[in-house]
Amino acid sequence: MKQMIELEINDELHEVAVGPADSLLRTIRETIGLIGTKRGCDSGGCGCCTVLVDGKAVYSCMTMAMSVQGKKIATIEGLGENGDLDPLQQAFIDAGAVQCGYCTCGVIMASKQLLTENPNPNEDEIRKGISGNLCRCTGYQKIVDAIKLAATSN
Amino acid sequence: MSLAGVEAFYRPDAPEGVVELLEKHSDSALIVAGGTFLHGLIARGLLTGIEALIDIQHLGLDYINNSADGTEIGAMTRFSAIKASPEVQSQAWLGAIRDAVEYPPAQVMNAATVGGCVASSCPFFDLPVSFLALNAIVNVHGPAGRRDIELEAFFPGLFENALDPAEFVTSLRVAPTSANTASAFTKLETNANDLALVNVAVSLATNGAGKCEEARVFVGGGVGETVVRAPSAEQTLTGAVLGPAIFTQAGDAAKADVDPIADHRASAEYRTAMVKVLLERTLQRAADRLS
Repeated sequence: MKQMIELEINDELHEVAVGPADSLLRTIRETIGLIGTKRGCDSGGCGCCTVLVDGKAVYSCMTMAMSVQGKKIATIEGLGENGDLDPLQQAFIDAGAVQCGYCTCGVIMASKQLLTENPNPNEDEIRKGISGNLCRCTGYQKIVDAIKLAATSN
Repeated sequence: MSLAGVEAFYRPDAPEGVVELLEKHSDSALIVAGGTFLHGLIARGLLTGIEALIDIQHLGLDYINNSADGTEIGAMTRFSAIKASPEVQSQAWLGAIRDAVEYPPAQVMNAATVGGCVASSCPFFDLPVSFLALNAIVNVHGPAGRRDIELEAFFPGLFENALDPAEFVTSLRVAPTSANTASAFTKLETNANDLALVNVAVSLATNGAGKCEEARVFVGGGVGETVVRAPSAEQTLTGAVLGPAIFTQAGDAAKADVDPIADHRASAEYRTAMVKVLLERTLQRAADRLS
């Protein structure tokens, strides 16, 4: 049976009806309509659905919507301020780190935690930071370049 | 996610509340901690008939307590909190725990819990192998109150554990064998998000002059229905002066202690060959941590 709960997403409170086993991913995309977060494997293997919960990257496909009540959730739509792109988003454009784009939002959210905790990561730390995200187009090099660029432009 | 029959999601705030719910719902209730292996259990057909989910994040089980007796880690402690623990990072005897949380990607580190990775009873997981090498005790809570179960007796079979009905894991406890103890862990994986092809954890206690007084060697990742102990390797090491030659002998001996499966990840022959290689390397790393 669905239940009304409050979720704080991108600094905004949403009152949503969720089923007891609904994933956060499904709630974000289908109930709230924020479709920047992507459904890839839906089993915690690809990273497309990565969002931040209290600043930490998690797979939203494996996170229960019911379990994140009272926490601060951030999706790709919540990055950037005053209509400007986040430096990470701009760096992905400038470095040409997007091909098909399906993994991009998830990679950027994982990178967001990385750069928040480690503003100047080396290449190994960057690759470790995005090791939970698959990209089948770029071969990762331009993604790594973009994260380095974002780190220097911060 | 397919948990179509689930009708209720509970968020109890005390262990007694969890036990009551487990008694009420019997086999149709499932404890949820980090949730990172739900898909794995569903995919293996192990989660049929679940009607109630019990979230245990509000029980105060997110802690790492260090004392003269050792270290106790609460069931809801995330891998990221273990990695951030100064004790885990600095103590040689906790090296196997330190190593095991080096592998997962951020999204798993931030969600997966100690209690979940033990209670899931999956023989491919990493931390349980390290905790076995450290001879951990599992603290559980149930209808009769608290009790301890040796981790070595906790996994009777594939995806099976020694929990009685309505019991659940509340923490894990480890203690060093002696002042001269060091441990290490190694995982062989295809990518950051895959289960282990083979993983190995060792704990070595010495007399302080390089002679091994006690060795605990455990191997996981598809080398048997559960994580297995490697007594042949342990016997090779016990009483010996530690060094590369004896590590090679122990690696060879361990091949007799495993009976690997063949699956889409690796053949049985490959797993057997890797047990030897990984054990040699893991023993060397543990030895390097001995003062």
